[in-house]
Amino acid sequence: MEYAQDIIDSTQDIFSSMIMLDVTPGESFKRSDEKLSNSISGIIGLAGNTKGMLAIHMTNQAALAVTTAFLGMDVEEIDEDVRDAIGELANMLAGSIKSILDPGGSDIKLSMPSAIYGEDYTIDCLADAQSVTVPFAFDGMGFMVELQLRKDS
Amino acid sequence: MDFAKIISETTEEIFNCMIFIDIAAQSPLESGKQVLACHVSAMIGLTGDLTAMLGIHCPENVGLAISGAMLGMELEEVDADVKDALGEISNMLAGGIKERVSSENINLDLAIPTAVAGTSYTISAPKGSQRVVVPFTIEQGQFFVEIKYQLN
Repeated sequence: MEYAQDIIDSTQDIFSSMIMLDVTPGESFKRSDEKLSNSISGIIGLAGNTKGMLAIHMTNQAALAVTTAFLGMDVEEIDEDVRDAIGELANMLAGSIKSILDPGGSDIKLSMPSAIYGEDYTIDCLADAQSVTVPFAFDGMGFMVELQLRKDS
Repeated sequence: MDFAKIISETTEEIFNCMIFIDIAAQSPLESGKQVLACHVSAMIGLTGDLTAMLGIHCPENVGLAISGAMLGMELEEVDADVKDALGEISNMLAGGIKERVSSENINLDLAIPTAVAGTSYTISAPKGSQRVVVPFTIEQGQFFVEIKYQLN
């Protein structure tokens, strides 16, 4: 699927360089609005001639492990540090994917990351956009990176 | 920039002209971390001279009432129609705000709307961002329009 390799490259690059974790990609798929349980999602909007949304969805357990590795400090619950780390991760992933899709730097602009978390929620993108999600695994835990894109011609 | 006023005016205009519901803006919430007890939200990113996220947050019955009025149909649960309607409202609100701030020489581009629904969720913004939340009331209850932003 288009963009799946870009997601894999960006995610592996950021996880190995910033978080010091090797993550293994699985097969890409098209996510619908499945429920997310006891999870946290970092999402960021892309605006400009190409519009879209990038999201990273993690179980609480994976988010705590990633934040601990990312910040180099122990975190035990989904607190402000974790929310900021997962939002920042979405921001870095979006920045990396932008640099692949828009090397000139003029076509895509990033908005502000948000973190959504809770026991039970769904996230779905509403525009008529192309969507691809890649699952990743590390240390027996998993997360998903989802990209939605729409080109305005 | 008075975002509370911009939100109040834009929201009232869109509800009057496009959804045909009377709404009353209330005073903005004191900044802080109120948890809004909501079951369906739509959010959209804005970027350019500032980076921002605009959201509309509704309890279930209010979300159903607003979407039903906009679509002219009875809605009984938070389904794809409700999410689409709220997403479209967030898009119109963001468009209205973009237009209002452009008169102050602030240029913004919109991303695409995303819906969040569920029985238990919280949405947070990065540390250091500003947040303005304006509550509105309709017959069925209260909903919130929120902007979180950072100056670039």
